[in-house]
Amino acid sequence: MEGVSYQRLPKIMIREMKDDYLKFNLTDTDASMANALRRVMIAEVPTIAIDLVEIEVNSSVLNDEFISHRLGLIPLTSDLAMGMRFSRDCDSCDGDGQCEFCSVEFHLNVRCDSDQTLDVTSADLRSTDPNVVPVDVAARALSSDPSSFDSDQRGIIIVKLRRGQELRLRAIARKGIGKDHAKWSPAATVTFMYEPDIQIKEDLMETLTLEEKRNWVESSPTKVFDIDPITQQVMVVDSEAYTYDEEVIKKAEAMGKPGLVEIYAKEDSFIFTVESTGAIKASQLVINAIDVLRQKLDAVRMQDAEADFKEFTDHMQGGG
Amino acid sequence: MAPLGKPDYSALRELFRPHIESFNYFLDEGLEKALVSIRAVEISDPLSSSKLRNILLFCREAGLSYKGEFKVDVNFQYDNKAVIREPTSFGHLPIMLMSKRCHLRGVSPEKLTSYKEEATEMGGYFICNGLERLGRLLILQKSNYPIGMVRKSFRNRGDGYSDKAVVIRCVREDQSSVTIKLYYLHNGSARLGFWIGGREFLLPVGIILKALIDTNDREIYVSLTSCYKEKYQRQKGAVGTQLVGERAQIILDEIRALSLLTRSQCLEHIGEYFQPAMHGFETESHSVVAEAVLRDYIFVHLANNYDKFNLLIFMLQKLFALVDQTASPDNPDALQNQEVLLPGHLITLYIKEKFQEWLHKLRQELQDEIVKNADGFGFKELDVKKIIRGSQTIGRAIENMIKTGKLATRAALDLPQRDGMMIQAERLNFLRFISHFCAVHRGAGLAKMRTTSVRKLLPESWGFLCPVHTPDGDPCGLLNHMTSSCRVTSFYDSDGNIKDFHKIRMSILTVLVGIGMTTSLPMLEQAGPPEVLHVLLDGCVVGSISSSKMEDAVSHLRKLKLSAPSGIPADLEVGYVPLSLGGAYPGLYLFTCPSRFVRPVKNISQSSNENHHIELIGPFEQAFMEIRCPDGGDGGRSEDFPATHEEIHPTGMLSVVANLTPWSDHNQSPRNMYQCQMAKQTMGFSAQAIEKRADVKLYHLQTPQSPIVRTDSYSKYCIDEFPTGINAIVAVLAYTGYDMEDAMILNKSSVERGLFRGHVYQTETVNLEKRHDKSTRVVEIFARSSEKKMSSSIDSDGLPYVGQKLQPNDPYYSSYNTLTSDIKPTFLKGSEPAIIDYVSIDGTNSKSGMQKANIRFRRTRNPVIGDKFSSRHGQKGVCSQLWPDIDMPFSASTGIRPDLIINPHAFPSRMTIGMLLESVGAKGGCLKGQFVDATPFSKSVNKADENTSFKSSSLVDELGPVLASYGFNYHGVEVLYSGVFGTELTCEIFMGPVYYQRLRHMVSDKFQVRSTGVVDQITRQPIGGRKRGGGIRFGEMERDSLLAHGAAYLLHDRLHSSSDYHIAEVCSMCGSLLTTSTLQPPKRAIREIRGLPPAKTPKSYTCLACKNSKGIETVAMPYVFRYLASELASMNIKLDLRLSSQQEK
Repeated sequence: MEGVSYQRLPKIMIREMKDDYLKFNLTDTDASMANALRRVMIAEVPTIAIDLVEIEVNSSVLNDEFISHRLGLIPLTSDLAMGMRFSRDCDSCDGDGQCEFCSVEFHLNVRCDSDQTLDVTSADLRSTDPNVVPVDVAARALSSDPSSFDSDQRGIIIVKLRRGQELRLRAIARKGIGKDHAKWSPAATVTFMYEPDIQIKEDLMETLTLEEKRNWVESSPTKVFDIDPITQQVMVVDSEAYTYDEEVIKKAEAMGKPGLVEIYAKEDSFIFTVESTGAIKASQLVINAIDVLRQKLDAVRMQDAEADFKEFTDHMQGGG
Repeated sequence: MAPLGKPDYSALRELFRPHIESFNYFLDEGLEKALVSIRAVEISDPLSSSKLRNILLFCREAGLSYKGEFKVDVNFQYDNKAVIREPTSFGHLPIMLMSKRCHLRGVSPEKLTSYKEEATEMGGYFICNGLERLGRLLILQKSNYPIGMVRKSFRNRGDGYSDKAVVIRCVREDQSSVTIKLYYLHNGSARLGFWIGGREFLLPVGIILKALIDTNDREIYVSLTSCYKEKYQRQKGAVGTQLVGERAQIILDEIRALSLLTRSQCLEHIGEYFQPAMHGFETESHSVVAEAVLRDYIFVHLANNYDKFNLLIFMLQKLFALVDQTASPDNPDALQNQEVLLPGHLITLYIKEKFQEWLHKLRQELQDEIVKNADGFGFKELDVKKIIRGSQTIGRAIENMIKTGKLATRAALDLPQRDGMMIQAERLNFLRFISHFCAVHRGAGLAKMRTTSVRKLLPESWGFLCPVHTPDGDPCGLLNHMTSSCRVTSFYDSDGNIKDFHKIRMSILTVLVGIGMTTSLPMLEQAGPPEVLHVLLDGCVVGSISSSKMEDAVSHLRKLKLSAPSGIPADLEVGYVPLSLGGAYPGLYLFTCPSRFVRPVKNISQSSNENHHIELIGPFEQAFMEIRCPDGGDGGRSEDFPATHEEIHPTGMLSVVANLTPWSDHNQSPRNMYQCQMAKQTMGFSAQAIEKRADVKLYHLQTPQSPIVRTDSYSKYCIDEFPTGINAIVAVLAYTGYDMEDAMILNKSSVERGLFRGHVYQTETVNLEKRHDKSTRVVEIFARSSEKKMSSSIDSDGLPYVGQKLQPNDPYYSSYNTLTSDIKPTFLKGSEPAIIDYVSIDGTNSKSGMQKANIRFRRTRNPVIGDKFSSRHGQKGVCSQLWPDIDMPFSASTGIRPDLIINPHAFPSRMTIGMLLESVGAKGGCLKGQFVDATPFSKSVNKADENTSFKSSSLVDELGPVLASYGFNYHGVEVLYSGVFGTELTCEIFMGPVYYQRLRHMVSDKFQVRSTGVVDQITRQPIGGRKRGGGIRFGEMERDSLLAHGAAYLLHDRLHSSSDYHIAEVCSMCGSLLTTSTLQPPKRAIREIRGLPPAKTPKSYTCLACKNSKGIETVAMPYVFRYLASELASMNIKLDLRLSSQQEK
């Protein structure tokens, strides 16, 4: 076992990149790797989110816990999160998690004095750290064209106030990971699919009439195949649209032409789709995820040096 | 997506109308009528023979909000002098919300919210002591209709009684009633029975016949035998047999034997018989008594003695037909022969009874006064007033009745039960609240009956009572709910004016005469059923119509019902019982009276007028009508009986709650029943003005949603104002094993994002006044002690801070005792932290300071393992795990992870196809961005207009293409990948949004754990009860199962070591367990060993009986055994223990 290397050198090919969206191909690795990456992106990449709320005045219609919960779910820009400390292992504060190294303080002080209903939004949150602000506030500040934001889109609504109602609070945002609470998850959605390998048996396909071909093409709920308007040949237009639903294979069998198409999932090629909440950029999310994954592997390797683990490996080697 | 406009609450209001209208009637007219019909009490002074009359002329009622002042003008008349009017207060009457005297009536929803009420407030209930109470709708026998009954218990009336009788419940205009039974005797005669003051009086029918009017034997004979004609023998509809003549003879012979020949003789006989039973007639002559009996007990719905006579003849004929089996008995359990008791009418009845009692008492007092001041007594106004003053009890009696639901009267009021007339309207959920107002109870007395026949769902209740919405278990079939289209007739016409029943009857009569009815005024009726049919209008035999003309007459009446200006009310019930062989007794029975069930159907025979083709029909006439369902088929109807009416929509047969189940027509029927029950215990929005409410317990869902798949009724009844659940993404798969046996896995991240978050609000009313007897004069007020630790959770006024979080056993209010001048805090009970939501102080105007406060706690209830959830298809389950998001299966194309996983085994045996359809439908609706209509039976209506014919009959073929067009699988399945391994799951998974409800049963209210703790004082065994920290009983049956398993050690552990383990000293010489006693140890210095605690001197025991400590042995035993020994000793029984070491044997 020792000496045999299973090392592979996975490759990433970025196909589409936006601030909150990333699509890339991951090749030369297997499902365990791909899934580990997915799981880390969802649950282990740290971000900053409001964790402690001290409510001073709340005369709104929503109760304190409701407002606190809503505040917690507001995504905050977390580019600093990787470098920040978890408040539980912060040395500079005595574990109360309120020092500058492990927390960011927010203040909210809103009172409605007009007859119109006032929306309290994430824009009303005042941060003590300009690097940690609600993501929509950051996006507006960065955008060159402020008019692209509608005036009625003032941000993420926290609560609505009537005349005379008031909301005053102090909130502490801390670093955390999605495993502990979903509010710390930087990923809206991370998913991957196996790249399909579609092979149409041309000779068998040619035995179909145009009508049959059309029926067969339309049997797929997603647009994977199409008919060439000139040659009237069935061709694959978007193999990635295939959802492994096997509708076309079933259809081919129903038409009495089994084996019309063969579809395999490539075992070592994955198409990843990452959507970020905005807390960190989608690309950064992947990089951070790889970092976190590496740290975890390092932790395993560190353990390896320890005696008890050695015992275990010895045992494995002896047994195996 | 829904249009943002003003919601229309009219459909919702309609549900509450019977309650409110009945109370309005009570306010408007019922009260007056009830008092008018009370016999004026005459009080005469035996000396001066001056007469004093109390005539209650009219009542006035000044109402403010929930309790109005109740004033009656009592009029006195002295010696026929001028009437003196004396306004007298009779206390306060509770007022029904939204009734005419309620200040909320007619207020717009916007205004209602400014009054701190629900915008949807519908009223219909009373507020008593802060509780919302409403009248229970009770099933009563149909008024003024003689029912042929066969009951074994009739035989117990006496010798010769058969099991057959004709029973009529006669109802006066003020809704008070007297039931009269006409029993058949085996010898051919009949007895008339009715109840006075708890006793049934039975009279030979001949006496009544003769006493009613001046008549002779021949006339009676001819009238009775009119229903028998030889030529019609055994023909269809012939109800008479030749035995009728013989029976008439027997009836007449019977009274001749008593030598009662003339009317006056009969009256004299009756009067003599009834004088002791009748109150207030002690000094009257026999004939006056007899007249009173006839007026107050015999056929009280009729004023005229001739009408009474005719009705009695009719009933006799029906009785004979029943005996001869030419007419079948009527089923008293069928809705056909039933109507409903409304709360307003009940209060009218009750107040009448109470007034009668009060007048009797008043009379007694005046009489006593007169006797006392016999010399020179003249009525002074003041004296009378003085006596009257004390009588404010009536208002209180009504209030008590509403509070307790008990009728505290001597007379039974001709009602089936005296308890449970009023129930509390629980608001734990909006659906539960409205169902209370639609619920109809069959009677509490029947709940204890062994037979299940009354619980049966009979075809007669089609369209009136919901077949689905009845609880299972104890009240199954007894507590029904009215369908959404069912209404109850009231005293008000559609314009809101009180109906003039006299006028209505007159106009019906003119119409009937116009059709060709021979009126029954010429007393002698010469013909009977097969030839002519009797016409009964509200229990009065008004005439007869030839049977050949009958069909036309009925359809003419129905036509007039539809046209408004005809003077015929729209809710007239035209019960035409056609001629049949041995069927129901034929005739035309017309009913105009209130509190009948009615429902709308389309009249398709009178199609000329499109706008006026909705006819209101009652359950009595429905049984004889041809109503087809609008599914295009004719329901197997034969050609001879073409359909004359058509159902408006099939959902009209379901109640409001049952109508909310989407695609309930695709579910197995019991599942829909379960859903009806579960919908009423969901945690949702119980009220929007939750801030202003002080209910003892309220459940609240933090972020509810509007269902994507919904029925028509959902928007009709504005359920969006009070949503009950959340659209959760549900995957149907067996994933981890944690979804076995109806358990379900919730996505932990979804829960953290707010799925099914909820709160429980609990209000505690602290009344310091009630802590002490008024006599002790101890006053307690809220105050805070100066102790530092108290101020952390108690404000300076002694009450908690609002918004404060309290841990168990934290103090939350404290009170100052003025006598002992100490301050006592009260601590939070239970094991759950609570947040002070709201504190209000009541009765600040009292002199002694703050004594009463409401404290509302809020407890957050996030979903935890063990909480109960359910879909809208009777699929309930318990959360078994909060599973991490990353371990949930995910879809490769969308990345969706389900919120909730249920096991596929939940479907095959339960057959809730509706839930599968909901999943597919909601998925399509989500993709399209539209709500999906899931009204049950909508297919059957579409069939009617042929143009929109669907090629496929399957609903899936409507929903599937929507999914396919968005690139999803036609059948709603998706390819999922394991969240743990990242590999494709071997089969495609059915996944889609389903509206899930969180039920109010939560583990935090139910879990019970204990290690060591409180034990019982006497037995030293652990106590029971969750609140006190007790354990769960390991009972006999559990013991048996351990014995069966041979688990002796475990058994010993549970029943002994972990229970009341005890080491007793037993004297082996005398065998007694009770005579051992400790010896005082001799005082000696205990040798101290450094580092060890001082050693205890071993206790030494001695037996008091043997005066010896030789034979003392220690024995381990349950402590109860010692207790048993002591108990036996107290009975002079000695319990003897024989000790031996096991080895010896």
